[in-house]
Amino acid sequence: MPDSLQGTLDLLILKTLQHEANHGFGITLHIQSVSQGLVTVEEGSLYPALHRLERARLVTAKWQTTSNGRRARVYSLSAAGRKRLAEAEESWSALAKGVGRILRFA
Amino acid sequence: MMDWLHRIFGRRADEIHEEIESHLDMCAELNASAGMPPREARTRARRQFGNAALVEEDDRPIHALQWIATIGQDIRYALRCFARSPVFTLAAVLTIALGIGASTAVFSVVDRILFRALPYPDAGRLVSVGMLAPAADTNEFLPVSAYLRFRQLQTPFSSMASFGFTSDCDLTEPNPVRLRCTQVDAAFLTTFGIRPLAGRNFTPAEDVPNGTPNGQNVALLTYGFWMGRFAGDRGIVGKTIPVDGQPTTVIGVLPRDFELFNLSPTDLLIPEALLPNQTGRVVRAFARLNPGVSVEQARAAMQPLFEKERQSVWPAFRQGLTLVVRPLRDRQIWTVRTASWTLAIAVMLVLFLACANVANLLLARAAGRRRELAVRQALGASRSRLVRQTLTESLLLAVAGAVVGCSLASALLRFFIAIAPNGITRLDQASLDGRVLLFAVAVSVAAGLLFGLAPALHTDTNVRATGLVRRGLITAQIAGSLVLLTGAGLLLRTLWSLERVPLGMNTEHVVAAHFVLSRSYTPARLNMFFDELESRLTRMPGAASTAISSSLPPYGGISSIPYSALNVEGRPRLPEGAGGGVGWRIVTPGYFAALGIPILRGRAFNQQDRAPAVAAIVLGDALAHRLFPNEDPIGKHMFQSKDGEWHTVVGVAGDVRNNGLTGPQALEFYLALNHSFGNAAHVVVRSPLDPQGVATMIRAQIAALDSSLPVDVQTFRERVGKLTGEPRFNAFLLTGFAAVGLILSAIGIYGVIGFLVSQRAREIGVRMALGATPSSVTRLFLWDAARWTGAGVLLGLAGSLAATRLLATLLFAVRGNDPWSFLAAAAILSAVALSAAWLPSRRAARIDPVRTLREE
Repeated sequence: MPDSLQGTLDLLILKTLQHEANHGFGITLHIQSVSQGLVTVEEGSLYPALHRLERARLVTAKWQTTSNGRRARVYSLSAAGRKRLAEAEESWSALAKGVGRILRFA
Repeated sequence: MMDWLHRIFGRRADEIHEEIESHLDMCAELNASAGMPPREARTRARRQFGNAALVEEDDRPIHALQWIATIGQDIRYALRCFARSPVFTLAAVLTIALGIGASTAVFSVVDRILFRALPYPDAGRLVSVGMLAPAADTNEFLPVSAYLRFRQLQTPFSSMASFGFTSDCDLTEPNPVRLRCTQVDAAFLTTFGIRPLAGRNFTPAEDVPNGTPNGQNVALLTYGFWMGRFAGDRGIVGKTIPVDGQPTTVIGVLPRDFELFNLSPTDLLIPEALLPNQTGRVVRAFARLNPGVSVEQARAAMQPLFEKERQSVWPAFRQGLTLVVRPLRDRQIWTVRTASWTLAIAVMLVLFLACANVANLLLARAAGRRRELAVRQALGASRSRLVRQTLTESLLLAVAGAVVGCSLASALLRFFIAIAPNGITRLDQASLDGRVLLFAVAVSVAAGLLFGLAPALHTDTNVRATGLVRRGLITAQIAGSLVLLTGAGLLLRTLWSLERVPLGMNTEHVVAAHFVLSRSYTPARLNMFFDELESRLTRMPGAASTAISSSLPPYGGISSIPYSALNVEGRPRLPEGAGGGVGWRIVTPGYFAALGIPILRGRAFNQQDRAPAVAAIVLGDALAHRLFPNEDPIGKHMFQSKDGEWHTVVGVAGDVRNNGLTGPQALEFYLALNHSFGNAAHVVVRSPLDPQGVATMIRAQIAALDSSLPVDVQTFRERVGKLTGEPRFNAFLLTGFAAVGLILSAIGIYGVIGFLVSQRAREIGVRMALGATPSSVTRLFLWDAARWTGAGVLLGLAGSLAATRLLATLLFAVRGNDPWSFLAAAAILSAVALSAAWLPSRRAARIDPVRTLREE
C-alpha cells in the first residue's frame, strides 16, 4: 500500500468538496471539525495535494471572493473527481473492513 | 528570453504564494476572533502553517515548464562561471570547435556520398544491371542484343532502361557551341522517375535509327543548358535547333535537379536508337525493382537469362564474366566509398580526442571547485541538481563550440574543395545545409554529454576516482591518436610508392593537348586538318620533338583488341578469345622521341612507314617477349589485316604504364597509319622552353586551323599528377587529422600530469624533505605517464590492426599490417607523450619542500 497515506488525504479532500466547493483553509477546518479533532491536515501536505488533484483534473479551482470579502482560491469537484471519489470510498471501506477483521482476529 | 520565462513561471509561482497568503490571512482572522491580538494571531497562523517557502518550493519542480525556468538559472550560473575563468572557457570552446568543425566539414562531404538519397523518387529501388568483365571495364555493361532480350524476358523489374554514352556534339548555329549529348532510350526517364519540367519524354517511336518516322531528330534540353542558351524560354519546346548539322526538335526540358547516374555533365538527351543485332555496341542498363523484390532475388531471377547471353560477349572478355545487379548508389560511389568511411572514422576519432581533452579540462576544474560544490550540497542542493548544473555547463560549452565549429567547418569545406582532386564524387555539391547543421547540433550535444558526463558523475569529489578517470581518458586518447597516426603513415607510404612507380617514359618538359573535332568535318577536311597540323607542329620553334597520337599513357582511352587477333605469319591461328586483350595506338613517327620511350630493338617509325603500301608495327617489350619468346622479332610478319596484308615488325619499344599506376601492366603495340585519327587526337610536344609558352604555342597552331575548336592543354607532369591526386588528398587529410590528434593528446597528457603534480605537491614536499632527489621525483611522474601511455599504445596498436583492414583497398605496395608504419607511429606518439609529461614532471622536481610544508 505505498500510496495509502497520500490516497487517504486525497479521499478526505475529495469527500470534503463533495458537498460544497471550498478553499484550502476551509478544507482544513472542515476535516478538523467533522473528525472532532481526531484528524488534522498539515498545510504543508494539503496544498501540494490540492495542486496535484488540480493537475489530475479531479478538482477545479478559481479565485473567488468569500462571504467576508476575502479573495481565496476555491476548489470544487469535477465530474472525474466525483467518479474517483466513489471508487476511493469503496476501496477505502473495503480496506477498513479488511483491516478491522485482521485486528479483531487477534 | 529570461523575462519571457519569468512571465510564464512567475505567474504560477505568484499564484501559489498568493494562495498561501490568503490561507494565512484567514487563519489569523480566526485566531483574532478567538481573542488574540492581531500581531500574535498572524505569527501563530504562520507557525501553524509551517514552512510556507517549502510548500512553494515543493510545488515547483513538479511543474514541467518550471523545470525550464531552473535551466535558465543553471545557464545564468554557468555563464557567470565561464566569465570568471576565461582561459579555461576559451581553451574548451576552441578544442570542441576544432572537433565539431572538422567532423561537420567531413560529414558535409561524405553525407552526399554515403547517406543522402539520390535525386530520383524511390531511388532505393533503382539498380544497375549488367555483365562485369574484369578484363574490359570496372563497371558492368550489356551488349545491345543482351539488353534487348533482358528487357523483353525479365521478371523482377517494373522497367528497364539503357544509356549509350555521352559524347561531344555541336550546336551548329551561326555561333557554334560544343555540347555534350547523352544517348538514352525512351524508358530512361520513366525508369528513373524523372518528369520533364516542360514538354515531354521521347516516345518509343522516336527512339529508332534515323530519327522519327517523319525523319526528324528530337532532343531534351537539360535545365542548365536551357537557362544558359535560351534564358529559360518555355517557347523553345517544339522549336527546331541544328545539332551536328541535323535539324532537331526540342521536345522537352529536364528538371533542375536532373543528374545522370554517373554525374557526368550533359546538355542534351537524344534517343539511343538501338538496333536488335548491333554487334559490338554496348550499353549501361538500369532497372527499377518491383515492389517487394530484393536485389539478391533480382540477381537470382536474371541469372538464367545471363547464362544464355554469355555467348554474345566478345570471346576475349568471356573469362571471369559475371552478372551484376547492384544498387545504383553502390555503382556511383564504389570507388570513393572506402575513402569516405576512412575520413568519417578519422574525423570521429579527432572529435573523440577533442571531447576527451575537454572532459579532462572539466575534471581538473571540478577538482578546483570541490569546495563550491560541497557548499552548495550543504545548502540543500540535491545531487541530481548538481549533476544537471554540470551537464548544463558542458552542453553550453558544446553549443559555443558548435557555433565556432560551424564557421570553422565552412572554411575547412572550402579548403577541402580547393585542394581536392577532380572526380571525387559529389564533392562539388557539398555544402553546409540544414541537414549538415542538424548533424553538427547532434554531434555537439552528444559531445557535450560525452565530455560532461565524467565530471558530472564525479560531483561526489572522490579525488582518487577522478585521477583514475583522467588517466583512463589519456589512455583512450593515446590509443585513438595512434590509430590515426598508423593510418596516416600507411597512406603516406602508399603515396610515396605511387610517386615512384616507373612510367616507362620521361615526362619532363612534355606538354600534351587534346581536342575533338566537330562531327560536321568531312573525311577530306579531316585529312587536310591533320596533315596541316603535323607540318605546323614540326615547324614549331623550340620544339625538340612533336607527335600526334590516338591516345596517351599512363591512363585513359587506349584501344584494345584480343591477343588472339595477333596472328604471326607461318604459325597457326590462336583459338578465338585466348590470351586476353592487347592495347594499341596510332602514332606519328615522333611519338617515341617526344615521350622519351626507349626503342630497345630495331628502330622507331619513320615517314616511309606511313606510305599506303607499307604496314609497319612497333611492339611493346612485354608483347614482343610473349609473341617471340626466343626469336628476334625484327622483320617478322604478323597481324594480318582484313585484306590479307601483313604488318612488319620494325622495332620494340620499352613498356609504358597504361592502366594508371596500380593497374596491371598491359601488352601493347603501335601502328603508324596515316589519316586514321578519326576526329579526336592528342598532340605531344617535347620542348626545353617554359611549358606555359609551349602550351600557348600549341593552342595558337590549332586555332590557326580551327578557331572555334576547344583544346585541353596540360603538361605531362600534371597529367601524371592527376593519378596521385586522390591518394594525396586522402593522405593529406588523414595526416592532418593525425597531427591534430597528436597535439590534442599531448595537451591532454600535459594537463593531467600538471594536475597530478599540483595535487601531490604536499606529498612531494614531504618526500623531498625526507631525502628524495629532484630526479627521482621527476621519474615518479614520468613513470606514471609512461604506464598510461604504454597501455594506450598497446590498445592503439590493437585498434590500428582492426582499423587498417578498412584501409586495405586504399593501399599500394604496403601491407595493412606493415610493422614499420606501426612502429614509427608508436615511437612518435610515445616520444610526444613523454615530452608532454616531462615538462610538468620537471616542475614537480623544482617544488620547494619548505614552502609546501609551510603552506599547511
